[in-house]
Amino acid sequence: MMKKSKGRQKTKMVKMDKENNLQVTFSKRKNGLFKKACELCTLCDAEIAVFVFSPSGKVYSFGHLDVETIINRFEGIENPPLNPQPNMQLDEIHRNSPIQDLNNDLTELMNQLELEQKKTEDLKNKRKNSKVPEIWLKDSIGGLDLGQAKEFKGKLENLKKQVRHEAFKMLEGRYPHPSFYVGSSSNALFGVDGGININPNMNLFDQRRMVNMNNFYNHNMALPNHPLPFGNYGHAEGFVPGYNYIPEPNPTGNQNPSSKEENEAGNEHHHDGHSPDPRSD
Amino acid sequence: MAYIENETSRKTTFRKRKGGIMKKALELSTLCDVPIAVFVQSEYNSVPEVFPPSRQAMGNMLVKWEKLSLVEKTKKMMNQEQFIQQRITKATESCKKVAKENKELAMKEVMYDCLRGDNAPCNLDEDELRDLGGVIDQYMKGLNRRIQVLMKDHASSSTSVVPDAAAAAAAAVAMPTAEMGSSSNVKDFDLNQTQSE
Repeated sequence: MMKKSKGRQKTKMVKMDKENNLQVTFSKRKNGLFKKACELCTLCDAEIAVFVFSPSGKVYSFGHLDVETIINRFEGIENPPLNPQPNMQLDEIHRNSPIQDLNNDLTELMNQLELEQKKTEDLKNKRKNSKVPEIWLKDSIGGLDLGQAKEFKGKLENLKKQVRHEAFKMLEGRYPHPSFYVGSSSNALFGVDGGININPNMNLFDQRRMVNMNNFYNHNMALPNHPLPFGNYGHAEGFVPGYNYIPEPNPTGNQNPSSKEENEAGNEHHHDGHSPDPRSD
Repeated sequence: MAYIENETSRKTTFRKRKGGIMKKALELSTLCDVPIAVFVQSEYNSVPEVFPPSRQAMGNMLVKWEKLSLVEKTKKMMNQEQFIQQRITKATESCKKVAKENKELAMKEVMYDCLRGDNAPCNLDEDELRDLGGVIDQYMKGLNRRIQVLMKDHASSSTSVVPDAAAAAAAAVAMPTAEMGSSSNVKDFDLNQTQSE
Protein backbone atom coordinates (compact mmCIF):
# COMPACT_ATOMS: atom_id res chain seq x y z
CA MET A 1 0.00 0.00 0.00
CA MET A 2 1.38 3.38 -0.98
CA LYS A 3 2.09 5.71 1.91
CA LYS A 4 -0.07 8.80 1.70
CA SER A 5 2.31 11.10 3.56
CA LYS A 6 5.82 11.06 4.98
CA GLY A 7 4.58 10.37 8.48
CA ARG A 8 5.64 12.06 11.68
CA GLN A 9 8.75 14.13 11.14
CA LYS A 10 10.90 16.26 13.39
CA THR A 11 10.11 19.91 12.73
CA LYS A 12 12.96 22.30 12.16
CA MET A 13 13.07 24.98 14.81
CA VAL A 14 13.12 27.90 12.45
CA LYS A 15 10.42 30.17 11.17
CA MET A 16 8.14 28.31 8.81
CA ASP A 17 8.23 29.36 5.19
CA LYS A 18 4.84 28.62 3.72
CA GLU A 19 2.33 31.28 4.65
CA ASN A 20 -0.55 28.86 4.80
CA ASN A 21 1.25 26.32 6.93
CA LEU A 22 2.35 29.02 9.31
CA GLN A 23 -1.19 30.09 10.06
CA VAL A 24 -2.34 26.52 10.53
CA THR A 25 0.64 25.69 12.70
CA PHE A 26 0.05 28.76 14.79
CA SER A 27 -3.55 27.81 15.33
CA LYS A 28 -2.83 24.25 16.29
CA ARG A 29 0.14 24.94 18.50
CA LYS A 30 -1.55 27.81 20.27
CA ASN A 31 -4.46 25.57 21.06
CA GLY A 32 -2.11 22.84 22.22
CA LEU A 33 -0.26 25.23 24.47
CA PHE A 34 -3.45 26.50 26.05
CA LYS A 35 -4.54 22.93 26.57
CA LYS A 36 -1.30 22.11 28.39
CA ALA A 37 -1.62 25.22 30.52
CA CYS A 38 -5.21 24.34 31.36
CA GLU A 39 -4.19 20.85 32.39
CA LEU A 40 -1.37 22.08 34.59
CA CYS A 41 -3.86 24.26 36.43
CA THR A 42 -6.09 21.30 37.13
CA LEU A 43 -3.36 18.84 38.01
CA CYS A 44 -1.18 20.99 40.19
CA ASP A 45 -3.37 23.85 41.18
CA ALA A 46 -1.08 26.34 39.52
CA GLU A 47 -2.00 29.80 38.38
CA ILE A 48 -1.08 30.43 34.80
CA ALA A 49 -1.37 33.19 32.25
CA VAL A 50 -0.39 33.02 28.59
CA PHE A 51 -0.78 35.61 25.91
CA VAL A 52 0.36 35.42 22.31
CA PHE A 53 0.09 37.57 19.22
CA SER A 54 -1.05 35.87 16.03
CA PRO A 55 0.78 36.42 12.73
CA SER A 56 -2.02 38.82 11.83
CA GLY A 57 -1.67 40.75 15.07
CA LYS A 58 -4.61 39.50 17.12
CA VAL A 59 -4.03 38.71 20.78
CA TYR A 60 -5.06 35.41 22.27
CA SER A 61 -4.79 34.81 25.98
CA PHE A 62 -5.53 32.13 28.48
CA GLY A 63 -5.49 32.53 32.23
CA HIS A 64 -6.35 30.80 35.43
CA LEU A 65 -7.56 32.48 37.41
CA ASP A 66 -7.47 35.74 35.51
CA VAL A 67 -4.94 36.93 32.96
CA GLU A 68 -4.93 40.56 34.02
CA THR A 69 -4.55 39.76 37.70
CA ILE A 70 -1.59 37.51 37.12
CA ILE A 71 0.16 39.99 34.85
CA ASN A 72 -0.44 42.87 37.23
CA ARG A 73 0.84 40.81 40.08
CA PHE A 74 3.97 40.07 38.11
CA GLU A 75 4.46 43.69 37.18
CA GLY A 76 4.05 44.50 40.83
CA ILE A 77 6.76 42.01 41.66
CA GLU A 78 9.15 43.84 39.39
CA ASN A 79 9.07 46.41 42.11
CA PRO A 80 9.45 43.96 44.97
CA PRO A 81 6.21 43.73 46.93
CA LEU A 82 5.90 44.26 50.61
CA ASN A 83 2.79 42.11 50.92
CA PRO A 84 3.26 38.33 51.05
CA GLN A 85 2.44 35.96 48.21
CA PRO A 86 -1.22 35.11 47.80
CA ASN A 87 -2.30 32.28 50.02
CA MET A 88 -2.20 29.17 47.88
CA GLN A 89 -4.27 27.27 50.43
CA LEU A 90 -7.34 29.20 49.44
CA ASP A 91 -6.95 27.70 46.01
CA GLU A 92 -8.02 24.37 47.41
CA ILE A 93 -11.53 25.65 47.28
CA HIS A 94 -11.67 25.65 43.53
CA ARG A 95 -10.55 22.08 43.34
CA ASN A 96 -14.08 20.86 43.89
CA SER A 97 -15.51 23.42 41.57
CA PRO A 98 -17.53 23.10 38.39
CA ILE A 99 -14.17 22.82 36.66
CA GLN A 100 -13.85 19.27 37.85
CA ASP A 101 -17.27 18.45 36.44
CA LEU A 102 -16.30 19.97 33.12
CA ASN A 103 -13.10 18.00 33.08
CA ASN A 104 -14.99 14.81 33.75
CA ASP A 105 -17.45 15.56 30.98
CA LEU A 106 -14.60 16.24 28.62
CA THR A 107 -12.81 13.02 29.49
CA GLU A 108 -15.96 11.04 28.89
CA LEU A 109 -16.53 12.72 25.55
CA MET A 110 -12.96 12.10 24.43
CA ASN A 111 -13.32 8.44 25.31
CA GLN A 112 -16.52 8.27 23.33
CA LEU A 113 -14.86 9.95 20.39
CA GLU A 114 -12.01 7.50 20.52
CA LEU A 115 -14.47 4.60 20.50
CA GLU A 116 -16.26 5.96 17.47
CA GLN A 117 -13.01 6.52 15.64
CA LYS A 118 -11.95 2.99 16.35
CA LYS A 119 -15.31 1.85 15.02
CA THR A 120 -14.59 3.70 11.79
CA GLU A 121 -11.27 1.90 11.49
CA ASP A 122 -12.95 -1.45 12.02
CA LEU A 123 -15.66 -0.73 9.49
CA LYS A 124 -13.14 0.39 6.89
CA ASN A 125 -11.02 -2.67 7.44
CA LYS A 126 -14.03 -4.90 7.18
CA ARG A 127 -14.87 -3.36 3.84
CA LYS A 128 -11.33 -3.84 2.57
CA ASN A 129 -11.23 -7.46 3.61
CA SER A 130 -14.63 -8.47 2.32
CA LYS A 131 -14.41 -9.84 -1.20
CA VAL A 132 -16.06 -7.67 -3.77
CA PRO A 133 -16.88 -9.89 -6.70
CA GLU A 134 -18.75 -7.52 -8.92
CA ILE A 135 -17.38 -4.31 -10.30
CA TRP A 136 -20.28 -2.12 -9.36
CA LEU A 137 -19.84 -2.79 -5.70
CA LYS A 138 -16.89 -0.49 -5.62
CA ASP A 139 -17.41 2.84 -3.97
CA SER A 140 -16.78 5.30 -6.72
CA ILE A 141 -19.84 5.62 -8.89
CA GLY A 142 -17.68 7.63 -11.23
CA GLY A 143 -15.95 4.47 -12.39
CA LEU A 144 -19.05 2.89 -13.85
CA ASP A 145 -19.99 2.75 -17.48
CA LEU A 146 -23.53 3.18 -18.70
CA GLY A 147 -24.43 -0.48 -18.68
CA GLN A 148 -23.06 -1.02 -15.21
CA ALA A 149 -24.72 2.08 -13.83
CA LYS A 150 -28.10 1.05 -15.17
CA GLU A 151 -27.70 -2.44 -13.83
CA PHE A 152 -26.76 -1.13 -10.42
CA LYS A 153 -29.69 1.23 -10.47
CA GLY A 154 -32.03 -1.59 -11.28
CA LYS A 155 -30.79 -3.67 -8.40
CA LEU A 156 -31.09 -0.74 -6.03
CA GLU A 157 -34.63 -0.02 -7.12
CA ASN A 158 -35.47 -3.60 -6.46
CA LEU A 159 -33.93 -3.45 -3.03
CA LYS A 160 -35.75 -0.23 -2.27
CA LYS A 161 -39.03 -1.95 -3.09
CA GLN A 162 -38.20 -4.69 -0.63
CA VAL A 163 -37.35 -2.11 2.01
CA ARG A 164 -40.66 -0.34 1.47
CA HIS A 165 -42.49 -3.60 1.65
CA GLU A 166 -40.90 -4.55 4.94
CA ALA A 167 -41.50 -1.11 6.38
CA PHE A 168 -45.14 -1.23 5.40
CA LYS A 169 -45.51 -4.64 6.93
CA MET A 170 -44.14 -3.29 10.17
CA LEU A 171 -46.51 -0.38 10.29
CA GLU A 172 -49.42 -2.53 9.34
CA GLY A 173 -48.67 -4.84 12.18
CA ARG A 174 -48.83 -1.96 14.55
CA TYR A 175 -51.86 -0.16 13.21
CA PRO A 176 -54.32 -2.65 11.82
CA HIS A 177 -56.63 -0.76 9.57
CA PRO A 178 -59.89 -1.54 7.94
CA SER A 179 -59.81 -2.08 4.23
CA PHE A 180 -62.63 -1.03 2.03
CA TYR A 181 -63.42 -2.49 -1.29
CA VAL A 182 -65.66 -1.69 -4.09
CA GLY A 183 -68.30 -4.23 -3.53
CA SER A 184 -71.15 -5.91 -5.02
CA SER A 185 -74.05 -5.53 -2.73
CA SER A 186 -72.63 -8.23 -0.62
CA ASN A 187 -70.70 -6.97 2.29
CA ALA A 188 -68.62 -10.09 2.40
CA LEU A 189 -65.72 -8.22 0.92
CA PHE A 190 -65.69 -6.02 3.87
CA GLY A 191 -62.29 -6.83 5.22
CA VAL A 192 -62.48 -5.66 8.72
CA ASP A 193 -61.26 -7.59 11.68
CA GLY A 194 -64.24 -8.21 13.81
CA GLY A 195 -66.05 -4.97 13.41
CA ILE A 196 -64.79 -1.54 12.75
CA ASN A 197 -61.38 -1.17 14.22
CA ILE A 198 -60.85 2.52 14.32
CA ASN A 199 -57.55 3.71 15.64
CA PRO A 200 -58.17 6.97 17.46
CA ASN A 201 -54.76 8.19 16.33
CA MET A 202 -55.58 7.96 12.67
CA ASN A 203 -55.71 11.60 11.74
CA LEU A 204 -55.49 10.80 8.05
CA PHE A 205 -58.81 9.16 8.44
CA ASP A 206 -61.32 10.94 6.34
CA GLN A 207 -64.56 11.79 8.09
CA ARG A 208 -66.37 11.40 4.86
CA ARG A 209 -65.19 7.89 4.39
CA MET A 210 -66.20 7.05 7.88
CA VAL A 211 -69.70 8.11 7.04
CA ASN A 212 -69.67 6.11 3.84
CA MET A 213 -68.59 3.13 5.83
CA ASN A 214 -71.48 3.60 8.16
CA ASN A 215 -73.74 3.64 5.19
CA PHE A 216 -72.27 0.47 3.90
CA TYR A 217 -73.08 -1.18 7.17
CA ASN A 218 -76.50 0.29 7.06
CA HIS A 219 -77.04 -1.23 3.70
CA ASN A 220 -79.01 -4.03 5.14
CA MET A 221 -80.61 -1.92 7.74
CA ALA A 222 -83.08 0.84 7.57
CA LEU A 223 -81.65 4.05 6.39
CA PRO A 224 -81.56 6.59 9.16
CA ASN A 225 -84.23 9.21 8.85
CA HIS A 226 -82.22 11.95 10.36
CA PRO A 227 -79.64 13.67 8.25
CA LEU A 228 -76.15 12.44 8.82
CA PRO A 229 -73.53 15.01 9.78
CA PHE A 230 -72.03 15.15 6.33
CA GLY A 231 -75.17 14.68 4.40
CA ASN A 232 -76.94 11.61 3.22
CA TYR A 233 -75.12 9.72 0.61
CA GLY A 234 -77.77 7.19 -0.03
CA HIS A 235 -77.11 3.53 0.15
CA ALA A 236 -76.10 2.83 -3.35
CA GLU A 237 -73.26 5.20 -3.42
CA GLY A 238 -71.93 4.04 -0.15
CA PHE A 239 -68.69 2.63 -1.34
CA VAL A 240 -65.20 3.71 -0.87
CA PRO A 241 -62.80 2.93 -3.67
CA GLY A 242 -59.87 0.73 -2.86
CA TYR A 243 -58.08 3.21 -0.80
CA ASN A 244 -54.70 2.86 0.59
CA TYR A 245 -54.42 4.03 4.08
CA ILE A 246 -50.95 4.49 5.36
CA PRO A 247 -51.06 5.64 8.92
CA GLU A 248 -48.66 8.13 10.34
CA PRO A 249 -46.83 6.51 13.19
CA ASN A 250 -47.87 7.82 16.57
CA PRO A 251 -46.07 11.16 16.78
CA THR A 252 -45.33 10.85 20.47
CA GLY A 253 -44.03 7.34 20.17
CA ASN A 254 -41.93 6.77 17.18
CA GLN A 255 -39.88 9.86 16.60
CA ASN A 256 -36.30 9.01 15.98
CA PRO A 257 -34.38 12.15 16.84
CA SER A 258 -31.16 11.04 15.28
CA SER A 259 -32.59 10.84 11.82
CA LYS A 260 -34.46 14.07 12.04
CA GLU A 261 -32.03 16.00 9.87
CA GLU A 262 -32.33 13.83 6.85
CA ASN A 263 -35.62 12.01 6.92
CA GLU A 264 -39.04 12.95 8.02
CA ALA A 265 -39.10 11.09 11.25
CA GLY A 266 -40.72 7.74 11.02
CA ASN A 267 -42.25 8.19 7.63
CA GLU A 268 -40.15 6.18 5.29
CA HIS A 269 -42.80 6.16 2.64
CA HIS A 270 -42.00 9.71 1.71
CA HIS A 271 -38.31 9.20 1.50
CA ASP A 272 -37.90 10.10 -2.09
CA GLY A 273 -40.63 12.61 -2.26
CA HIS A 274 -43.12 10.36 -3.99
CA SER A 275 -46.50 9.67 -2.54
CA PRO A 276 -46.96 6.05 -1.58
CA ASP A 277 -47.92 3.68 -4.34
CA PRO A 278 -51.45 2.44 -4.22
CA ARG A 279 -51.45 -0.78 -2.41
CA SER A 280 -52.40 -3.59 -4.69
CA ASP A 281 -53.56 -6.68 -2.96
CA MET B 1 -7.48 14.89 34.76
CA ALA B 2 -7.88 15.89 38.37
CA TYR B 3 -5.86 17.51 41.14
CA ILE B 4 -3.01 15.25 42.18
CA GLU B 5 -3.35 14.59 45.87
CA ASN B 6 -0.02 12.89 46.29
CA GLU B 7 2.52 15.59 47.11
CA THR B 8 5.52 13.97 45.47
CA SER B 9 3.68 13.03 42.31
CA ARG B 10 2.22 16.49 42.11
CA LYS B 11 5.57 18.15 42.46
CA THR B 12 7.16 15.90 39.83
CA THR B 13 4.28 16.38 37.45
CA PHE B 14 4.44 20.07 37.93
CA ARG B 15 8.14 20.25 37.18
CA LYS B 16 7.86 18.15 34.04
CA ARG B 17 4.79 19.82 32.65
CA LYS B 18 5.94 23.31 33.39
CA GLY B 19 9.13 22.52 31.50
CA GLY B 20 7.07 21.19 28.63
CA ILE B 21 4.96 24.33 28.49
CA MET B 22 7.99 26.58 28.35
CA LYS B 23 9.45 24.46 25.59
CA LYS B 24 6.23 24.62 23.59
CA ALA B 25 6.10 28.37 24.06
CA LEU B 26 9.59 28.70 22.64
CA GLU B 27 8.71 26.50 19.70
CA LEU B 28 5.57 28.45 18.92
CA SER B 29 7.36 31.77 18.98
CA THR B 30 10.18 30.46 16.79
CA LEU B 31 8.15 28.56 14.23
CA CYS B 32 5.58 31.27 13.72
CA ASP B 33 7.70 34.25 14.60
CA VAL B 34 5.22 35.60 17.12
CA PRO B 35 5.60 37.27 20.51
CA ILE B 36 4.48 35.15 23.43
CA ALA B 37 4.56 35.38 27.20
CA VAL B 38 3.89 32.75 29.86
CA PHE B 39 3.52 33.15 33.62
CA VAL B 40 3.38 30.20 35.99
CA GLN B 41 2.74 30.65 39.70
CA SER B 42 2.94 27.60 41.90
CA GLU B 43 3.11 26.59 45.52
CA TYR B 44 6.72 25.66 44.96
CA ASN B 45 8.04 29.07 44.13
CA SER B 46 7.24 32.46 45.57
CA VAL B 47 8.27 34.11 42.33
CA PRO B 48 6.40 33.20 39.16
CA GLU B 49 8.35 31.37 36.49
CA VAL B 50 8.07 33.07 33.16
CA PHE B 51 8.82 32.99 29.47
CA PRO B 52 10.66 34.74 27.90
CA PRO B 53 13.21 34.27 30.61
CA SER B 54 15.25 37.37 29.92
CA ARG B 55 14.27 40.47 31.83
CA GLN B 56 14.45 42.68 28.78
CA ALA B 57 12.43 40.38 26.54
CA MET B 58 9.74 40.09 29.19
CA GLY B 59 9.80 43.83 29.61
CA ASN B 60 9.05 44.20 25.90
CA MET B 61 6.19 41.77 26.15
CA LEU B 62 4.65 43.70 29.02
CA VAL B 63 4.90 46.91 27.06
CA LYS B 64 3.11 45.27 24.16
CA TRP B 65 0.39 44.06 26.49
CA GLU B 66 -0.19 47.39 28.15
CA LYS B 67 -0.51 49.08 24.77
CA LEU B 68 -3.56 47.03 23.97
CA SER B 69 -7.06 48.36 24.43
CA LEU B 70 -9.38 46.57 26.79
CA VAL B 71 -11.38 45.31 23.85
CA GLU B 72 -8.34 43.86 22.13
CA LYS B 73 -7.21 42.18 25.33
CA THR B 74 -10.51 40.56 26.21
CA LYS B 75 -11.78 39.66 22.76
CA LYS B 76 -9.93 36.37 22.64
CA MET B 77 -9.37 35.90 26.34
CA MET B 78 -10.36 32.68 28.01
CA ASN B 79 -10.31 31.29 31.49
CA GLN B 80 -10.16 27.64 32.39
CA GLU B 81 -13.89 27.11 32.43
CA GLN B 82 -14.42 28.72 29.05
CA PHE B 83 -11.56 26.84 27.50
CA ILE B 84 -12.73 23.45 28.70
CA GLN B 85 -16.27 24.27 27.64
CA GLN B 86 -15.00 25.08 24.17
CA ARG B 87 -13.19 21.75 24.04
CA ILE B 88 -16.36 19.99 25.12
CA THR B 89 -18.36 21.65 22.36
CA LYS B 90 -15.81 20.69 19.73
CA ALA B 91 -15.60 17.12 20.99
CA THR B 92 -19.37 16.78 20.98
CA GLU B 93 -19.54 17.92 17.36
CA SER B 94 -16.76 15.59 16.34
CA CYS B 95 -18.45 12.71 18.08
CA LYS B 96 -21.74 13.35 16.34
CA LYS B 97 -20.03 13.65 13.00
CA VAL B 98 -18.07 10.43 13.34
CA ALA B 99 -21.07 8.54 14.69
CA LYS B 100 -23.10 9.64 11.70
CA GLU B 101 -20.37 8.59 9.29
CA ASN B 102 -20.12 5.25 11.02
CA LYS B 103 -23.82 4.73 10.67
CA GLU B 104 -23.55 5.41 6.96
CA LEU B 105 -20.60 3.08 6.58
CA ALA B 106 -22.41 0.34 8.42
CA MET B 107 -25.53 0.81 6.32
CA LYS B 108 -23.49 0.66 3.13
CA GLU B 109 -22.23 -2.71 4.27
CA VAL B 110 -25.78 -3.83 4.89
CA MET B 111 -26.76 -2.61 1.44
CA TYR B 112 -23.95 -4.52 -0.21
CA ASP B 113 -24.84 -7.59 1.80
CA CYS B 114 -28.43 -7.38 0.62
CA LEU B 115 -27.35 -6.97 -2.99
CA ARG B 116 -25.07 -9.96 -2.63
CA GLY B 117 -27.74 -12.02 -1.04
CA ASP B 118 -26.06 -12.37 2.34
CA ASN B 119 -28.75 -10.32 4.06
CA ALA B 120 -32.24 -9.08 3.37
CA PRO B 121 -34.52 -6.24 4.46
CA CYS B 122 -36.74 -8.65 6.36
CA ASN B 123 -33.96 -9.08 8.90
CA LEU B 124 -33.75 -5.42 9.77
CA ASP B 125 -35.55 -3.45 12.40
CA GLU B 126 -37.41 -0.22 11.79
CA ASP B 127 -34.48 2.12 12.34
CA GLU B 128 -32.20 0.08 10.14
CA LEU B 129 -34.80 0.01 7.39
CA ARG B 130 -35.11 3.75 7.53
CA ASP B 131 -31.34 4.23 7.36
CA LEU B 132 -30.99 1.70 4.59
CA GLY B 133 -33.63 3.53 2.60
CA GLY B 134 -31.64 6.70 3.04
CA VAL B 135 -28.40 5.15 1.88
CA ILE B 136 -30.10 3.65 -1.15
CA ASP B 137 -31.57 7.02 -2.05
CA GLN B 138 -28.16 8.60 -1.75
CA TYR B 139 -26.63 6.09 -4.12
CA MET B 140 -29.55 6.47 -6.44
CA LYS B 141 -28.96 10.19 -6.73
CA GLY B 142 -25.33 9.66 -7.60
CA LEU B 143 -26.19 6.94 -10.05
CA ASN B 144 -28.80 9.02 -11.80
CA ARG B 145 -26.36 11.84 -12.15
CA ARG B 146 -23.76 9.47 -13.53
CA ILE B 147 -26.24 8.01 -15.99
CA GLN B 148 -27.24 11.49 -17.08
CA VAL B 149 -23.64 12.42 -17.77
CA LEU B 150 -23.00 9.24 -19.67
CA MET B 151 -26.11 9.68 -21.76
CA LYS B 152 -25.05 13.20 -22.63
CA ASP B 153 -21.66 11.91 -23.63
CA HIS B 154 -23.31 9.23 -25.63
CA ALA B 155 -25.38 11.76 -27.52
CA SER B 156 -22.56 14.22 -28.12
CA SER B 157 -19.98 11.78 -29.41
CA SER B 158 -20.47 11.35 -33.17
CA THR B 159 -19.00 7.91 -33.56
CA SER B 160 -20.37 6.34 -30.50
CA VAL B 161 -18.79 3.00 -30.01
CA VAL B 162 -20.44 2.46 -26.69
CA PRO B 163 -17.84 0.51 -24.73
CA ASP B 164 -14.97 2.78 -25.73
CA ALA B 165 -16.75 6.03 -24.97
CA ALA B 166 -17.90 4.70 -21.67
CA ALA B 167 -14.46 3.39 -20.83
CA ALA B 168 -12.93 6.73 -21.66
CA ALA B 169 -15.50 8.45 -19.48
CA ALA B 170 -14.86 6.04 -16.68
CA ALA B 171 -11.12 6.47 -16.93
CA ALA B 172 -11.40 10.23 -16.95
CA VAL B 173 -13.60 10.34 -13.91
CA ALA B 174 -11.43 7.96 -11.95
CA MET B 175 -8.70 10.58 -11.91
CA PRO B 176 -9.37 13.67 -9.87
CA THR B 177 -8.06 15.94 -12.59
CA ALA B 178 -10.09 14.95 -15.62
CA GLU B 179 -8.00 15.08 -18.74
CA MET B 180 -10.94 15.15 -21.09
CA GLY B 181 -11.30 18.07 -23.43
CA SER B 182 -14.80 19.33 -22.78
CA SER B 183 -14.78 21.65 -19.82
CA SER B 184 -18.48 21.32 -19.16
CA ASN B 185 -18.06 17.64 -18.51
CA VAL B 186 -15.29 18.15 -16.03
CA LYS B 187 -17.64 19.91 -13.65
CA ASP B 188 -20.08 17.04 -13.73
CA PHE B 189 -17.37 14.52 -13.01
CA ASP B 190 -16.25 16.49 -10.02
CA LEU B 191 -19.79 16.44 -8.71
CA ASN B 192 -19.82 12.70 -9.06
CA GLN B 193 -16.62 12.37 -7.14
CA THR B 194 -17.98 14.25 -4.18
CA GLN B 195 -21.38 12.64 -4.35
CA SER B 196 -20.29 9.08 -4.42
CA GLU B 197 -18.96 9.03 -0.85
